[in-house]
This record gives sequence, C-alpha cells and structure tokens, in this order.
Amino acid sequence: MTIPFRTRAHVFWRCLFLQAAWNRRGMQNLGFAYAIEPALDALYADPARREEALARHLGFFNCHPYMATAIVGGAIHHEERVAAGEEPGAAPLSYKATLQGPLAAVGDGFFWTALRPFFGAVAALGALVSGWQAVVAAVVLYNVVQLSLRAALFRAGYRQGDAVVGLIARLSLPRVADRLRAAGVALCGAAAAAVALRAGGGVVQAEVGAVLVVAAAAGAGYLALARGAPLFPAAYLVAVLGTLAAAVTGWDGRP
Amino acid sequence: MGYLLLGIVAGLAAVERKGFLQAMLSRPIALAPLTGWALGDLAGGLVVAAPLELLWLGAVNLGAALPVHEALATVAITGGAVLAGQALGGGVTPATAVVALLVGAPLALLGRRADRVVEVANERLALFAEEALRRHHPHAAVRLNLAGLAMPFAIAAALAPAGAWVGSQVATRLLQAAPSLDGPLRVGWWAFCGLACAAGAKALRSRRAGVIFGVGAAAALLIGLGLGAAT
Repeated sequence: MTIPFRTRAHVFWRCLFLQAAWNRRGMQNLGFAYAIEPALDALYADPARREEALARHLGFFNCHPYMATAIVGGAIHHEERVAAGEEPGAAPLSYKATLQGPLAAVGDGFFWTALRPFFGAVAALGALVSGWQAVVAAVVLYNVVQLSLRAALFRAGYRQGDAVVGLIARLSLPRVADRLRAAGVALCGAAAAAVALRAGGGVVQAEVGAVLVVAAAAGAGYLALARGAPLFPAAYLVAVLGTLAAAVTGWDGRP
Repeated sequence: MGYLLLGIVAGLAAVERKGFLQAMLSRPIALAPLTGWALGDLAGGLVVAAPLELLWLGAVNLGAALPVHEALATVAITGGAVLAGQALGGGVTPATAVVALLVGAPLALLGRRADRVVEVANERLALFAEEALRRHHPHAAVRLNLAGLAMPFAIAAALAPAGAWVGSQVATRLLQAAPSLDGPLRVGWWAFCGLACAAGAKALRSRRAGVIFGVGAAAALLIGLGLGAAT
C-alpha cells in the first residue's frame, strides 16, 4: 500500500511542528511521532500494529528541522515496506539512526550558519538603504528557498528512501554555504557604511564624525570579538563609551 | 491595549522561533518592524531592526545548544523605544533606541534561562505521551506535542511587555530630565550599530572575514559618498 498524496501533505504540514515539544531526553521524539502519525493511521488498520509503529517513532530523534523532512519522508517509505511485510520493523529506526546525525550537521552548516544569516544581512542592509519593502522581499525570498527545499527533501525521502543521501550530496550545500557566508560578511561591512552615511545625513562634517565613530566601534569591536570578547559586555561598553565620548567632547552628532 | 498587543506578538514570535515554522518571522529584522507596526509605528520598528538583526546574527539553535532569546529581547527593546518615542513625541530616535536597548537586552539572557525550564517541562510531556501510548491512546499521546507551544508563548507574552514598560519609562524619564543627553546618546547608538555590524560579520565564521568586512565597508562607503556627490 502507498500513502495517498493528501496524507503525505498532512504529514508535511505536521513536520512544521517538529520541535514543538523539544526536550533533552528524546529531543524531537514527540514531534516526529506527531508528524508521522497520519501516515501510520493510513498504513496500519490493526490498532496493535499502529501503536507498535508509533511507539518506535517515540524514541530519541534529533536533526535539523528543515533536513528532518527528508527523514520523515524516508521513514514513511520504509513503513510502507514494513506494513507490506517486506522489511522488519527495525528498518525505519535504522534509517533514522543512520541519517539524523549527518543531515543535522549539513542542515546546521547550510541553513543556520549560512543561508539564514545571509538573508538576515541582506534584509538588514535593505532596511538601512531602502525600507520595509526590502525586508519583506528578503524574508519572502528566504521562505521560498527554505520551503521549496523542505518540500523537495520530503518528497525525495519518500520516493527514494536511502538514496536521498546521494541527492543531498549532489546539492553541494557546504560549498554554497561558504560562498553565502563570505557574501554575508561583505553585506555586514556595507551595512556599517550605510549606518555611517545615514547618521551623517548628507552633511560632510557630520558624515566624517559618524564614519569615525562607526568605523572605530566596528573595527575595535570586530577585533575584540575575534579574540573571544563576550558579545553582551562588548555591546554595552561600546554604547556607553560612545555616549560618554560625545558628552565629554560636547559633540551632539547632529547633521 | 499596546501592552496586550506586545504580549501577543512576543508570544507568537517565541512559538515561531523554535516550535513552529521557523520562517525568519521571529528574527529581529522582521519582528521589530512587526512590533512597531502593532504599536502604530512601523518606521520606529525599522530603526532598531537592522542593528538588532546583525547583533544577533549568530543566535542560532545548533544541536542541543541554546542561543540567547533574541525574539523576546527584540519585542521588549522595540516596544520600549516606540512607547518612549510616543510619550516624548517625535517617534523613535537613536536616543530612545539606545536606552531601550540597554534596558531590554538582558531579556535575551533571561529568555535563554526560560528556554531551559521549557525543555524540562517538555520532558514531562514526552513521558506523559509514552504513558498515554501504553494506555492505548495514540492520538492523545502525539497531540501532547502541541502542548509544548504553550509555555514559550506564555513566558514571552509575560516578559516582553514588562521589559518594554521598563525601557519606555527609563527612556522617557531620562530624556525629560536631561534633554541634553539626546546628542550623546545618539552617538552611543551609532557606536552600538557599528559593533552590531562587526558582530554580524564575526558570527558568519567565514575565512578572512575581517578583510572581507573591511573591504565591504570601504566599497559601500565610496559608492554611497559617490552617489551622494552625484545627487
């Protein structure tokens, strides 16, 4: 038996709640069981077999929430075979255990430390230069990318099972992530320049002052953070020092 | 009414941040304008959005590590700045923004502590789910997953308006008592913005980030000055 499209869509929707009850014991275990439940309902008419299947998906699970859709899709792929008697009940568990670690690492490295920060930097620069429209555009574009990838991974996991690994490898996500990180850093630099120019308000004397303040804070701040300075004290120190320096010199920073 | 809206926005953001969707709507760059819009000052929200996003660009949920609660602090800071701007007249200024920031930022650390409490509570939910399954109630067992959304909502909905109130009160009273502080605080805000950009660059963990950051800043500055001169 194969799972109808409508049920698979229901499972995909529930994947969006994967971390609703994240906990240190089973991590995303409850979220995984919640996501896959409609598929198990469709596959197992016998309540005892259904409960047995659900119980195996209440075990420990943790992965990147976007990449996990590939594993949910693949788990359904294996459950169809378990229900048909073609595979032992341990097959979906083995699939999950094998893939969750590597896919978590790929997802963290691509989505959390590259793609999302990159779009965050795009939106921040857009907000400084253009306005709220740029923020909306960046957030919409990010979601088109991430939701498309989530849906594609779910579909690939369901259709290809273990072969989804090859598909993910072909995406070359680590290489793309490196480029996104470098571009994001350049955008942060451009944002610093935009802050200085906005603060100067087009008046040369004020622009020089603003550029000096922003450049000093950004340069010294970067060096301090790169040497391990904690972020919060650094932010307070910079804001207070900037205020005190202006108060002592009598410069009000107005354009 | 404003504080009620702040509570709802903060609660929904706390849910979206980890438990549901994760579509960047709880990131400061989207949440600050939304908070400002909810309070009737979208432009005011935009003033703080970019620096807060860059400051907390590295606040990500890697594995079991808990980042600071940037969404909770963003609502408190934006709410504090907008409400102070409305009380003083003239909207959000760099001065109101920097005071709201200094008051509201610690909520990001408090929120992280609260997240640990939520994780402990969720362990109990998982145990209840296993018990429900043993008693042959599979649907009830898995639906306990959704109960995990309640506590993050409630905590953020309670703390963010309180932080915004304190921030707005401090900013309003300080600037009413010492209007001359407006200029120095403005410079303090710029300095903070510079550090936030550096924090964003550092958080991206790129090779040669320092060089790329400097080149990006210099190039954008030259382009900006060139465009300014041309107009």
